[in-house]
Amino acid sequence: MSAQEMKSVETLPKATPARPRWGKIFGLQEMGVYYALALLVGTLAIVTTYMGQSNYLSIQNMSNVIYQTSLIGMMAVAMTVVLISGNFDLSVASVAAFSAVAMVANAATLGFWPAAGLAMLAAMALGLLNGAIVQFVGINAFIVTLGTMTAVRGLILLYTDGRSVSVSIPEVTDVMKAFEGGTHNGYFALLVASLAMLAYGSWAFARGIAAGQGQQPMTLGLLLGGLGLLAITWASGGELPVRNPVIYLAIFTGCVWFVLHFTKVGRRLYAVGGNPEAARLSGINVTKYKLLAFVFCSMTAGFAGILFASRLRSMNPSGLQGAELTVIAAAILGGTSLFGGAGSVIKTLAGALLLFSLTNGFNILNLGANWQGLIEGCVVVAAAAVYTIGDKRSKSKTGG
Amino acid sequence: MLAAQPIMQLRGVKKAFANGTVALRGVDLEIVLGEVHGLLGANGAGKSTLIKILSGAYPATEGEILWHGAPVQWDSPKAAKAMGVATVHQHIPLVPTFSVLENVFLDDNGFWRRPTSLRTRYDALCDRMGYRPDPDTLVSALSIGQQQMVSILQSLSTGANLIVLDEPTASLAMDERDLVYQAVRRLSQGEGKAVLFVSHFLDEVMALTDRVTVLRDGAVVMTAQTHDLNESLLAEAIVGKPVAALGQASRHHSTAVVGGTPRLSLRNLASPGALRPISLDLARGEVLGVAGLLGSGRSELLHAIFRADKRATGDVLVDDKPVARSTGAAVAAGIGLVPEDRNRQGLVPEFEIWRNISLPALDGVTRFGTLDAAKERERAWQAIRMLSIKASSPDILVTDLSGGNAQKVTIAKWFFSDVKLFLLDEPTAGIDIGAKADILRLIRALAEQGKSVIVVSSEFEEILAVADRVLVMRDGACVAERRADETSEHDLLLLAGGQGNADAADTHYESKDGNSQ
Repeated sequence: MSAQEMKSVETLPKATPARPRWGKIFGLQEMGVYYALALLVGTLAIVTTYMGQSNYLSIQNMSNVIYQTSLIGMMAVAMTVVLISGNFDLSVASVAAFSAVAMVANAATLGFWPAAGLAMLAAMALGLLNGAIVQFVGINAFIVTLGTMTAVRGLILLYTDGRSVSVSIPEVTDVMKAFEGGTHNGYFALLVASLAMLAYGSWAFARGIAAGQGQQPMTLGLLLGGLGLLAITWASGGELPVRNPVIYLAIFTGCVWFVLHFTKVGRRLYAVGGNPEAARLSGINVTKYKLLAFVFCSMTAGFAGILFASRLRSMNPSGLQGAELTVIAAAILGGTSLFGGAGSVIKTLAGALLLFSLTNGFNILNLGANWQGLIEGCVVVAAAAVYTIGDKRSKSKTGG
Repeated sequence: MLAAQPIMQLRGVKKAFANGTVALRGVDLEIVLGEVHGLLGANGAGKSTLIKILSGAYPATEGEILWHGAPVQWDSPKAAKAMGVATVHQHIPLVPTFSVLENVFLDDNGFWRRPTSLRTRYDALCDRMGYRPDPDTLVSALSIGQQQMVSILQSLSTGANLIVLDEPTASLAMDERDLVYQAVRRLSQGEGKAVLFVSHFLDEVMALTDRVTVLRDGAVVMTAQTHDLNESLLAEAIVGKPVAALGQASRHHSTAVVGGTPRLSLRNLASPGALRPISLDLARGEVLGVAGLLGSGRSELLHAIFRADKRATGDVLVDDKPVARSTGAAVAAGIGLVPEDRNRQGLVPEFEIWRNISLPALDGVTRFGTLDAAKERERAWQAIRMLSIKASSPDILVTDLSGGNAQKVTIAKWFFSDVKLFLLDEPTAGIDIGAKADILRLIRALAEQGKSVIVVSSEFEEILAVADRVLVMRDGACVAERRADETSEHDLLLLAGGQGNADAADTHYESKDGNSQ
């Protein structure tokens, strides 16, 4: 059937793409995290201005927030991949800390890059261990990674004997500084990016009009995103400090987004999380995809750990403790399903930015850290409520 | 039938959903005690919506519901249940980790989890129904048919007067259907309850019901006494035009290519505890029917051929090339499986129609290593037109489709790559008669193009209509092989589950087994 079928596909009149349901696309469930982020940033900007404090929206402060987000953001993006595949990884922060310790402890003897490579390998091995236990023994991922989270933290204590490790050799610390602390002027890069987005968006917009089909959501996203970036570029007045981790985060997220949305690997990953049995009976190697998601997550954690250790040039055995919860909170804020098959890394990033904007706002307003946990917790539960209620409503609308 | 006061009356019931879909356009229905009332209709005619209104899951947008002659307004399944309406849904909502006893008395409001009085009540209930599953077995260990009976028992335990059965036999094998039929007869004749019986099977509606209502496009198109009707009248009312009887398809010419390399060869394919060694050759363009009851090993055979059964031993060869033991290798070799349980095994619920359809053949929609969504959507449009899937666009989520249309999506998945061998596991289960005929025609069309098809079905009539050759399975073994034009439904029934022929069939199996070794 296929050969003939495919031929007749070519000769068929072009089917019109469905008109997107804008009401749903701009609904709380789809865009809620962006609204929340805009609302929070707007509120903080107004409050700081009103109280006569330094401008919250200053380029200096914004780039600070993004810099603070970078490590957790990277891990949250990787966590989103694991969640999409239908699993869960509580051990990210422990793995990151282990990688950091391994790097710092060996950098003096091996040099920075070999030590970093070793740390990445160790992290990936831990991810493989997680995945292998989950997939081959068949224990729930939550339980397995709860165990490895504790065990790896214990391993760190054994390895360091409970003491901080640090590097003081100038050759190594210089490389670390360059790797983590380098600052670039992102003015031109951002200008080019915004213009490219606007150009492509306008082209897609014109094509949509010419074909008389109405617009696709991505076109609008490109135009809005391009305008937003252009506004930031213009406001910066030519001086836009961007630190290395932010660049790493941007490249990393872009790559993951691309793979998830435009490649076979991404499509299959969503299918594996959405219905593993249907994926398997469609010829997809479910075990491989789930295992690779774990390895990918731990690899990212390893990289984040190296960045963290490079920033401090030392590592405390209890460093990054509890960070896994922030990572998971960011993914949940971004609307990632805990049951697999759904999630977006861009929204996860917005979720991470939201959490760090909160922290940053508390610092600027001198509200004290005591309030922070309470507010953050409420925000996470509120977000989950929006997604759950929205989900139920959209299901009953269509009649089950 | 006595012209008794109806226990439930619907007057002009309408239902419109928030997204603009109108499911019911003013339905009148009268259900009388002691009567079995058949409710028929094609997929999407509004049967499920009507049932959900009766059972209190949805409120009606307009219209009146009278219960014992008085208007009622129930707003929850619990309220409907308390009034005396029990609904047995198509997808059985039992707690799999509970025992039969606990499931039957699930909404019993006592304090203790297992009071001894429950056992006496259970025994009384089973006596009434003439069916007694072991009360301490876990429900997850039961077959689908037994689970269906447990949910019927559950509905009776509340002392309901109107029992709504939503396609209770759709996923059951022949002998298990009889259990349900007996239960329905006992309920209506023995106990004088009212039964609303929803089904796609015209023969069972004719045999079982006293009165029939047919829905089409959300409106009642026929209400009549069953004895004034026949199957073809019913079929006409459902489809809205005279349909060619299924039997006509049986006068097909075999398209099997004689000689040459077989499309598929099985060499002692077996699976411990599920499938005894089986060897066979399937020609190009041949349609092989597998007749067998639920649990006969028919699905296990398909899964073993598709290399989805990890414990399977023996070889599978497509065009004389062995297929490695993974579903990926099977797909690469050109095998496509349409599984029995489309929701659990066939579809990704988060995906729209187009993403489900392109899943097994992503290579064909890749451009420079990235997926071309426009091409994927075009494929989905193609599938929607080719199989007349009722969907306004490929962007509809598969969870929003009716059963028959979702089934068509699981079949369409395999049309866009070079699939040479289709394995269809109960492709027509829970599908209306129009869609059923479509699917049977499609199978013949595939065979004419030189594809080979193995089709498993509980409806032996269908197997005879499409297959060139029929394999009969029982207890995980192939017990007989017949040419489709040399056998009959009656023969197949006897071979697959008939006690009378059991000895003869056993001998047949043994000699066959002996030959293959």
